[in-house]
Amino acid sequence: MKNVSRILPCYAADTSGVCSALYELGGMTVIHDASGCNSTYTTHDEPRWYDRRSMVFISALTEMDAIMGNDERLISDTVAAAKDLSPGFIALCGSPMPMMTGVDFDAIACEVEARSGIRTFGFHTNGTRHYTEGVSEALEAVLREYAAEMPKAEGIGVNVLGLTPLDFPLGADDSINSWLRNNGFVPVADLAMGSTLEDIKKAASAKVDLVVSSSGLAAAEYMLERFGINYVTGIPVGGRFGSELAENIRQAASATDHGCVFSQGMGFDENTDSGSTVIIGEGIASMSLARALGSELGMDCTVICPLGADDLVFRGAAKDITSEEEIEAYLGKTLPKTVIADPLYSYVVPEGTRHISLPHLAFSGRSYKNEIKDLVNTDIKELFK
Amino acid sequence: MIKLAVYGKGGIGKSTCTSNLSAALAGLGKKVIQIGCDPKADSTINLLHGDAVTPVMDYMRIHDEEPDRIEAITKTGFGGVVCIETGGPTPGLGCAGRGIITTFSLLEELELFEKIKPDAVLYDVLGDVVCGGFAAPIREGYAEQVLIVTSGEKMALYAANNINTAVKNFEDRSYARVRGVILNRRNVADEEQKVRSFAESSGLEITADIPRSDDIIKYEDMGMTCVEGDPGCETSKRFLELAKRLIEEDEKNG
Repeated sequence: MKNVSRILPCYAADTSGVCSALYELGGMTVIHDASGCNSTYTTHDEPRWYDRRSMVFISALTEMDAIMGNDERLISDTVAAAKDLSPGFIALCGSPMPMMTGVDFDAIACEVEARSGIRTFGFHTNGTRHYTEGVSEALEAVLREYAAEMPKAEGIGVNVLGLTPLDFPLGADDSINSWLRNNGFVPVADLAMGSTLEDIKKAASAKVDLVVSSSGLAAAEYMLERFGINYVTGIPVGGRFGSELAENIRQAASATDHGCVFSQGMGFDENTDSGSTVIIGEGIASMSLARALGSELGMDCTVICPLGADDLVFRGAAKDITSEEEIEAYLGKTLPKTVIADPLYSYVVPEGTRHISLPHLAFSGRSYKNEIKDLVNTDIKELFK
Repeated sequence: MIKLAVYGKGGIGKSTCTSNLSAALAGLGKKVIQIGCDPKADSTINLLHGDAVTPVMDYMRIHDEEPDRIEAITKTGFGGVVCIETGGPTPGLGCAGRGIITTFSLLEELELFEKIKPDAVLYDVLGDVVCGGFAAPIREGYAEQVLIVTSGEKMALYAANNINTAVKNFEDRSYARVRGVILNRRNVADEEQKVRSFAESSGLEITADIPRSDDIIKYEDMGMTCVEGDPGCETSKRFLELAKRLIEEDEKNG
């Protein structure tokens, strides 16, 4: 029963992650599903749905199609829609039912591509994993396909990896780009908010990748391996941590030995239980906030990362506590003074502990959409005092 | 790397042929993995002297979780052949095809191929390609060639034709191609002619011709393959010839 949530909602699924990552890139995304994944995505996980058009569809999988393994309907409907809409690429992603019947999305993508003449990706989502896995797979795939070797941009070009509305408010791309420019960097491509496929084709002209969520790590690893681009993890939250991050980017740009990854552990030693403040959320966002609050307000923070704390970056610095039961037990045992987390975590915050609300779209959907805070270029002393 | 899936009618001798081929490849110095993809989980038993490996589905049923190391679901048999069985649900329940897919995902997660670094992987698959799960061994990244085991019996040839047609349906998907037919003789009338006629009409070759022999039963009763029991007998020689040919082709293809 360890992974069962009685009170807390689950995070957005991998299917929503793929759709969100590809939303602005001019492709056509088809979820192979009866309809549930699509409505969850559009209703809860996609704040751009009503304001900005994108080609996201469902296959309307029927019981008989599932029983008969009728992949042909998905293939022919996708090819027909693509002929009408001429997308830049096609993305197919799965949901629980295709997972159970063992649909081979790689093979179907091959067939769709052969018939439509349009580059087609098959993504291995099944609707049961976290959105971070879907975003991660999608971002890596587009970079593998479209980023080409090219001369470096003037100055220190920076890609921002792992940027989606599931983790950031709309407009966060502008905030981060403006922070980059103010620190003398040149924004190249933001994957994937505010950038086009054309921008992504130039991604290898950057000198550094700034990874702003764990969803950007796989893409960053690929860019490191393929183009030797070093990467830095962190979000520019608060002046002091922002300055450190900017310095890390400069070091990463000038490092002669490629393969350097900056901000590993993000400056924390092994995480302890001593923090009077507990931050619950996506790993890189929470670690960045913890660092910023530490340096600006002297707060001693512990980070809980329910999405899984990737050792590559955190080196044990975040609590890899993922289930409701574990989170509740941890908070009950340590009784922190303050918890900073999405409003829906209030159900597990112990009595007497202050809960500072930090809405996270991937957790509470659009329920608190208008209260989602842009922490970049913001006075965090005011927000968290 | 040799990546081969063996299909054929139930009871036609797929496991016997696969195990003897694994043993022959191992005898020629190759590192071999044999994966039984059948809920009966008896593909590798004659490579293991009857000391069966725990099937993956059994492990998950007993422990209610996935194994975290490859050793929990493998056993090393004759010639160092690494033996794995997918197993399956309780007969009459569940979804055996899904079990095969789950097993393959698990083997990928456990980095089976990276750790064992095999020269040959043989998939021994239950009967017909009855659903998506039983086509999993021929998906991209798994088997590249299919050998269909048949005798001259009508139902065996009928199943062989179904399998050949099913695999052909996947031509656009970068799946495995049918490499040929293993004629596993049952000594029925005009056997060679019947199988040759099927092979020719399907554009296939008879890749190996295994004689009807008591040696197979004799050594299986002793919990071993014919190749292990008597490498010099005619049956073993045929499997060794097939193994040599596959190795030569693999080396030629780089």
